[in-house]
Amino acid sequence: MKTLIIAIAFVAIFFTSPSHGADVEHKHEGQALEPSTSFSTEKASCENIINIKVNGLVCDFCARSLEKVFLKRDDVAGIKVDLSKSSVVVATKSGLTIDDTSLKNLIKDSGYNVTTIDRGCKDE
Amino acid sequence: MKSAIFILCCMVSLGYAFQALSRPVSYPGGWTVMQKNDKNVHSVHLHYSPTARYSVGYRTEYWRDEGWQFQGVQFNYLVKRHNAQDSQANFYLKGGLGIAYDNFGLPNEEIEPASFIDIAVDWETRRYFTSYENRLYYAADIDRFFRQKARAGIAPYLGDYGDFHTWLMLQTDHIASEGNEVTFTPFVRIFKNEYMGEVGISNKGEVLFNLIIRF
Repeated sequence: MKTLIIAIAFVAIFFTSPSHGADVEHKHEGQALEPSTSFSTEKASCENIINIKVNGLVCDFCARSLEKVFLKRDDVAGIKVDLSKSSVVVATKSGLTIDDTSLKNLIKDSGYNVTTIDRGCKDE
Repeated sequence: MKSAIFILCCMVSLGYAFQALSRPVSYPGGWTVMQKNDKNVHSVHLHYSPTARYSVGYRTEYWRDEGWQFQGVQFNYLVKRHNAQDSQANFYLKGGLGIAYDNFGLPNEEIEPASFIDIAVDWETRRYFTSYENRLYYAADIDRFFRQKARAGIAPYLGDYGDFHTWLMLQTDHIASEGNEVTFTPFVRIFKNEYMGEVGISNKGEVLFNLIIRF
Protein backbone atom coordinates (compact mmCIF):
# COMPACT_ATOMS: atom_id res chain seq x y z
CA MET A 1 0.00 0.00 0.00
CA LYS A 2 2.93 2.34 0.68
CA THR A 3 4.15 1.72 -2.83
CA LEU A 4 0.75 2.66 -4.23
CA ILE A 5 0.64 5.88 -2.23
CA ILE A 6 4.12 6.85 -3.40
CA ALA A 7 3.22 6.05 -6.99
CA ILE A 8 0.06 8.17 -6.90
CA ALA A 9 1.96 11.00 -5.25
CA PHE A 10 4.51 11.08 -8.04
CA VAL A 11 1.87 11.03 -10.74
CA ALA A 12 0.35 14.07 -9.05
CA ILE A 13 3.74 15.77 -8.89
CA PHE A 14 4.37 15.22 -12.57
CA PHE A 15 1.04 16.65 -13.63
CA THR A 16 1.46 19.69 -11.43
CA SER A 17 5.10 20.33 -12.29
CA PRO A 18 5.72 24.00 -13.25
CA SER A 19 7.63 22.90 -16.34
CA HIS A 20 4.77 20.70 -17.48
CA GLY A 21 3.49 21.77 -20.90
CA ALA A 22 5.50 24.98 -20.95
CA ASP A 23 8.37 23.99 -23.17
CA VAL A 24 6.68 24.58 -26.51
CA GLU A 25 5.84 28.18 -25.77
CA HIS A 26 9.32 28.94 -24.50
CA LYS A 27 11.07 27.25 -27.39
CA HIS A 28 9.93 29.78 -29.96
CA GLU A 29 9.66 33.03 -28.10
CA GLY A 30 9.62 36.14 -30.19
CA GLN A 31 8.03 34.72 -33.29
CA ALA A 32 5.04 36.35 -34.93
CA LEU A 33 2.89 33.25 -34.59
CA GLU A 34 2.54 31.33 -31.42
CA PRO A 35 4.27 28.07 -32.34
CA SER A 36 2.08 25.70 -30.43
CA THR A 37 -1.05 23.66 -30.81
CA SER A 38 -3.07 26.64 -29.68
CA PHE A 39 -2.02 28.96 -32.50
CA SER A 40 -4.82 30.78 -34.26
CA THR A 41 -5.09 30.47 -38.01
CA GLU A 42 -6.52 33.99 -37.97
CA LYS A 43 -3.09 35.30 -37.05
CA ALA A 44 -1.53 33.71 -40.11
CA SER A 45 -1.96 34.75 -43.68
CA CYS A 46 -4.12 32.32 -45.61
CA GLU A 47 -1.28 31.63 -48.00
CA ASN A 48 0.69 30.22 -45.09
CA ILE A 49 -1.98 27.79 -43.94
CA ILE A 50 -1.83 24.10 -44.90
CA ASN A 51 -4.73 21.79 -44.00
CA ILE A 52 -3.77 18.13 -43.87
CA LYS A 53 -6.12 15.20 -43.36
CA VAL A 54 -4.41 12.12 -41.98
CA ASN A 55 -5.22 8.50 -41.20
CA GLY A 56 -4.40 6.91 -37.86
CA LEU A 57 -4.77 10.03 -35.75
CA VAL A 58 -6.48 8.44 -32.74
CA CYS A 59 -4.22 9.06 -29.77
CA ASP A 60 -3.36 12.43 -28.23
CA PHE A 61 -0.25 11.09 -26.56
CA CYS A 62 1.11 9.58 -29.78
CA ALA A 63 0.16 12.64 -31.84
CA ARG A 64 2.65 14.70 -29.86
CA SER A 65 5.16 13.47 -32.43
CA LEU A 66 3.52 15.83 -34.94
CA GLU A 67 4.50 18.80 -32.84
CA LYS A 68 7.99 17.44 -32.30
CA VAL A 69 8.57 16.81 -36.00
CA PHE A 70 7.06 20.00 -37.39
CA LEU A 71 8.11 22.51 -34.76
CA LYS A 72 11.78 21.74 -35.08
CA ARG A 73 11.67 23.09 -38.64
CA ASP A 74 12.62 26.70 -39.25
CA ASP A 75 9.84 27.21 -41.78
CA VAL A 76 6.99 26.20 -39.47
CA ALA A 77 5.32 28.86 -37.36
CA GLY A 78 2.73 26.68 -35.68
CA ILE A 79 0.70 23.49 -35.78
CA LYS A 80 -2.79 22.60 -34.69
CA VAL A 81 -3.99 19.02 -34.26
CA ASP A 82 -7.67 18.05 -34.22
CA LEU A 83 -8.31 14.43 -33.25
CA SER A 84 -12.05 14.55 -33.95
CA LYS A 85 -11.48 15.75 -37.52
CA SER A 86 -8.31 13.71 -38.10
CA SER A 87 -6.70 16.90 -39.27
CA VAL A 88 -3.46 18.78 -38.85
CA VAL A 89 -3.22 22.49 -39.69
CA VAL A 90 0.27 23.78 -40.28
CA ALA A 91 1.14 27.47 -40.49
CA THR A 92 4.37 28.31 -42.21
CA LYS A 93 6.33 31.47 -41.65
CA SER A 94 5.69 34.38 -43.99
CA GLY A 95 7.13 33.80 -47.45
CA LEU A 96 7.93 30.15 -46.76
CA THR A 97 6.12 26.99 -47.75
CA ILE A 98 6.47 23.21 -47.58
CA ASP A 99 5.87 21.09 -50.66
CA ASP A 100 3.46 18.15 -50.64
CA THR A 101 6.17 15.49 -50.78
CA SER A 102 7.91 16.94 -47.75
CA LEU A 103 4.60 17.20 -45.90
CA LYS A 104 3.83 13.54 -46.58
CA ASN A 105 7.26 12.53 -45.33
CA LEU A 106 6.92 14.64 -42.21
CA ILE A 107 3.51 13.15 -41.46
CA LYS A 108 4.87 9.66 -42.06
CA ASP A 109 7.80 10.32 -39.73
CA SER A 110 5.22 11.34 -37.14
CA GLY A 111 3.49 7.98 -37.51
CA TYR A 112 0.58 8.76 -39.82
CA ASN A 113 -0.48 8.80 -43.47
CA VAL A 114 -1.70 11.78 -45.45
CA THR A 115 -5.05 11.49 -47.17
CA THR A 116 -5.50 15.05 -48.47
CA ILE A 117 -3.60 18.34 -48.46
CA ASP A 118 -5.40 21.67 -48.95
CA ARG A 119 -3.80 25.05 -48.82
CA GLY A 120 -5.35 28.28 -47.62
CA CYS A 121 -7.95 29.26 -45.04
CA LYS A 122 -10.98 27.05 -44.65
CA ASP A 123 -14.41 28.10 -43.50
CA GLU A 124 -15.33 26.13 -40.39
CA MET B 1 10.19 -1.09 1.12
CA LYS B 2 12.94 -1.76 -1.43
CA SER B 3 10.31 -1.58 -4.16
CA ALA B 4 9.08 1.76 -2.91
CA ILE B 5 12.59 3.18 -2.82
CA PHE B 6 13.29 1.87 -6.30
CA ILE B 7 10.13 3.49 -7.67
CA LEU B 8 10.84 6.73 -5.85
CA CYS B 9 14.38 6.99 -7.21
CA CYS B 10 13.28 6.24 -10.75
CA MET B 11 10.47 8.79 -10.63
CA VAL B 12 12.73 11.54 -9.40
CA SER B 13 15.51 10.82 -11.84
CA LEU B 14 13.31 10.29 -14.87
CA GLY B 15 10.55 12.71 -14.20
CA TYR B 16 12.61 15.82 -13.99
CA ALA B 17 15.26 14.86 -16.50
CA PHE B 18 13.18 13.77 -19.47
CA GLN B 19 10.03 13.97 -21.48
CA ALA B 20 9.35 10.72 -23.29
CA LEU B 21 6.76 8.64 -25.13
CA SER B 22 5.18 5.23 -25.04
CA ARG B 23 5.92 3.73 -28.40
CA PRO B 24 8.94 1.45 -28.75
CA VAL B 25 9.80 3.38 -31.91
CA SER B 26 9.49 7.15 -31.94
CA TYR B 27 9.87 9.88 -34.54
CA PRO B 28 13.32 10.52 -36.08
CA GLY B 29 15.52 12.03 -33.42
CA GLY B 30 13.07 11.25 -30.64
CA TRP B 31 13.98 9.93 -27.23
CA THR B 32 11.74 7.73 -25.11
CA VAL B 33 11.77 6.70 -21.50
CA MET B 34 9.52 3.96 -20.15
CA GLN B 35 9.56 3.11 -16.47
CA LYS B 36 7.36 0.15 -15.53
CA ASN B 37 6.61 -1.80 -12.39
CA ASP B 38 4.33 -4.75 -11.87
CA LYS B 39 4.17 -7.87 -9.75
CA ASN B 40 7.07 -9.45 -11.59
CA VAL B 41 9.55 -6.82 -12.62
CA HIS B 42 10.75 -3.25 -12.31
CA SER B 43 12.18 -1.94 -15.57
CA VAL B 44 13.53 1.18 -17.19
CA HIS B 45 13.95 1.44 -20.94
CA LEU B 46 15.55 4.47 -22.57
CA HIS B 47 15.70 4.50 -26.34
CA TYR B 48 16.53 6.71 -29.28
CA SER B 49 14.96 6.50 -32.74
CA PRO B 50 17.28 7.40 -35.62
CA THR B 51 14.36 6.86 -38.00
CA ALA B 52 10.64 6.25 -37.62
CA ARG B 53 11.31 2.57 -38.30
CA TYR B 54 13.56 1.45 -35.45
CA SER B 55 15.06 2.46 -32.13
CA VAL B 56 18.01 1.42 -30.02
CA GLY B 57 18.36 1.87 -26.33
CA TYR B 58 19.38 0.74 -22.89
CA ARG B 59 17.30 -1.54 -20.69
CA THR B 60 17.61 -2.43 -17.04
CA GLU B 61 15.32 -4.80 -15.17
CA TYR B 62 14.98 -6.18 -11.68
CA TRP B 63 12.98 -9.39 -11.37
CA ARG B 64 11.48 -9.17 -7.94
CA ASP B 65 10.74 -12.74 -6.91
CA GLU B 66 13.91 -14.27 -8.29
CA GLY B 67 16.03 -11.27 -7.31
CA TRP B 68 18.15 -11.07 -10.46
CA GLN B 69 18.86 -8.13 -12.71
CA PHE B 70 19.34 -7.53 -16.40
CA GLN B 71 21.42 -4.80 -17.99
CA GLY B 72 21.68 -4.56 -21.74
CA VAL B 73 20.85 -2.99 -25.05
CA GLN B 74 17.47 -3.28 -26.73
CA PHE B 75 16.56 -2.98 -30.40
CA ASN B 76 12.97 -2.21 -31.45
CA TYR B 77 11.76 -2.50 -35.03
CA LEU B 78 8.43 -1.37 -36.43
CA VAL B 79 7.53 -4.12 -38.86
CA LYS B 80 4.20 -2.70 -39.94
CA ARG B 81 1.92 0.19 -39.07
CA HIS B 82 -1.58 0.33 -40.48
CA ASN B 83 -3.29 3.70 -40.35
CA ALA B 84 -7.02 3.71 -41.03
CA GLN B 85 -9.39 6.64 -40.81
CA ASP B 86 -10.44 5.88 -37.26
CA SER B 87 -7.81 3.44 -36.02
CA GLN B 88 -4.15 2.54 -35.94
CA ALA B 89 -2.47 -0.86 -35.66
CA ASN B 90 1.20 -1.63 -35.05
CA PHE B 91 3.40 -4.69 -35.23
CA TYR B 92 6.80 -4.57 -33.55
CA LEU B 93 9.74 -6.91 -33.10
CA LYS B 94 12.08 -6.32 -30.19
CA GLY B 95 15.28 -7.91 -29.04
CA GLY B 96 17.63 -7.45 -26.12
CA LEU B 97 21.17 -8.54 -25.38
CA GLY B 98 23.15 -8.05 -22.19
CA ILE B 99 24.09 -9.62 -18.90
CA ALA B 100 22.06 -11.04 -16.06
CA TYR B 101 23.43 -11.12 -12.57
CA ASP B 102 22.17 -12.69 -9.40
CA ASN B 103 23.35 -12.21 -5.83
CA PHE B 104 25.58 -9.40 -7.01
CA GLY B 105 28.54 -8.82 -4.68
CA LEU B 106 27.88 -11.96 -2.66
CA PRO B 107 30.01 -15.13 -2.56
CA ASN B 108 27.43 -16.98 -4.63
CA GLU B 109 27.28 -14.25 -7.26
CA GLU B 110 26.25 -15.36 -10.75
CA ILE B 111 26.80 -13.41 -13.95
CA GLU B 112 25.50 -14.84 -17.20
CA PRO B 113 24.85 -13.62 -20.74
CA ALA B 114 21.17 -12.90 -21.29
CA SER B 115 18.92 -12.15 -24.24
CA PHE B 116 15.28 -11.90 -25.16
CA ILE B 117 13.08 -11.62 -28.21
CA ASP B 118 9.70 -10.01 -28.20
CA ILE B 119 6.69 -9.64 -30.46
CA ALA B 120 4.20 -6.84 -29.82
CA VAL B 121 1.00 -5.86 -31.60
CA ASP B 122 -1.59 -3.24 -30.79
CA TRP B 123 -4.75 -1.76 -32.23
CA GLU B 124 -6.54 1.31 -31.04
CA THR B 125 -9.23 3.80 -31.83
CA ARG B 126 -10.06 6.91 -29.86
CA ARG B 127 -12.43 4.78 -27.76
CA TYR B 128 -10.89 1.29 -27.62
CA PHE B 129 -7.40 -0.12 -27.12
CA THR B 130 -6.07 -3.67 -27.36
CA SER B 131 -2.53 -5.03 -27.33
CA TYR B 132 -0.62 -8.25 -27.01
CA GLU B 133 3.05 -8.78 -26.28
CA ASN B 134 5.17 -11.82 -25.56
CA ARG B 135 8.77 -12.29 -24.59
CA LEU B 136 11.08 -15.29 -24.68
CA TYR B 137 13.81 -14.76 -22.10
CA TYR B 138 17.09 -16.61 -21.79
CA ALA B 139 19.46 -15.89 -18.92
CA ALA B 140 21.49 -19.12 -18.88
CA ASP B 141 21.44 -20.71 -15.42
CA ILE B 142 19.79 -17.73 -13.77
CA ASP B 143 16.39 -17.85 -15.43
CA ARG B 144 14.56 -18.85 -18.61
CA PHE B 145 10.91 -18.20 -19.29
CA PHE B 146 8.18 -17.20 -21.71
CA ARG B 147 5.97 -14.28 -20.75
CA GLN B 148 2.77 -13.02 -22.37
CA LYS B 149 0.83 -9.86 -21.69
CA ALA B 150 -2.46 -8.70 -23.14
CA ARG B 151 -4.29 -5.46 -22.58
CA ALA B 152 -7.72 -4.09 -23.36
CA GLY B 153 -9.12 -0.69 -22.55
CA ILE B 154 -11.89 1.78 -23.09
CA ALA B 155 -11.95 5.55 -22.86
CA PRO B 156 -15.02 6.66 -20.87
CA TYR B 157 -14.95 10.00 -22.68
CA LEU B 158 -13.25 11.29 -25.82
CA GLY B 159 -10.93 14.13 -25.01
CA ASP B 160 -9.67 16.62 -27.54
CA TYR B 161 -6.02 17.22 -28.29
CA GLY B 162 -4.39 18.64 -25.17
CA ASP B 163 -7.11 17.49 -22.80
CA PHE B 164 -6.63 15.27 -19.78
CA HIS B 165 -7.32 11.73 -21.01
CA THR B 166 -8.46 8.75 -18.96
CA TRP B 167 -8.64 5.10 -19.91
CA LEU B 168 -10.00 2.15 -17.94
CA MET B 169 -7.93 -0.90 -18.76
CA LEU B 170 -7.31 -4.54 -17.92
CA GLN B 171 -3.95 -6.29 -18.18
CA THR B 172 -3.55 -10.05 -18.23
CA ASP B 173 -0.14 -11.58 -17.52
CA HIS B 174 1.04 -15.13 -17.98
CA ILE B 175 4.48 -16.55 -17.32
CA ALA B 176 4.91 -20.13 -18.45
CA SER B 177 7.52 -20.97 -15.82
CA GLU B 178 5.18 -20.00 -12.99
CA GLY B 179 2.84 -22.94 -13.38
CA ASN B 180 0.74 -21.27 -16.05
CA GLU B 181 -0.58 -18.83 -13.51
CA VAL B 182 -2.57 -15.95 -14.97
CA THR B 183 -2.74 -12.55 -13.29
CA PHE B 184 -5.39 -9.92 -13.96
CA THR B 185 -4.65 -6.27 -13.28
CA PRO B 186 -7.32 -3.63 -13.74
CA PHE B 187 -5.73 -0.21 -13.95
CA VAL B 188 -6.31 3.39 -14.88
CA ARG B 189 -4.28 5.07 -17.59
CA ILE B 190 -4.11 8.84 -17.56
CA PHE B 191 -2.23 11.18 -19.80
CA LYS B 192 -1.92 14.79 -20.75
CA ASN B 193 0.50 16.18 -23.29
CA GLU B 194 3.76 14.24 -23.01
CA TYR B 195 3.03 12.64 -19.64
CA MET B 196 1.38 9.26 -19.17
CA GLY B 197 0.83 7.32 -15.97
CA GLU B 198 -0.77 3.95 -15.22
CA VAL B 199 -1.80 2.77 -11.77
CA GLY B 200 -3.57 -0.44 -10.83
CA ILE B 201 -3.73 -3.41 -8.48
CA SER B 202 -3.76 -7.03 -9.59
CA ASN B 203 -6.09 -9.75 -8.36
CA LYS B 204 -3.16 -10.86 -6.18
CA GLY B 205 -2.87 -7.46 -4.56
CA GLU B 206 0.28 -6.40 -6.41
CA VAL B 207 0.67 -2.82 -7.55
CA LEU B 208 1.14 -1.87 -11.18
CA PHE B 209 2.71 1.51 -11.76
CA ASN B 210 4.05 2.73 -15.08
CA LEU B 211 5.29 6.12 -16.11
CA ILE B 212 5.99 7.15 -19.67
CA ILE B 213 7.20 10.57 -20.65
CA ARG B 214 7.87 11.81 -24.11
CA PHE B 215 10.64 14.08 -25.25
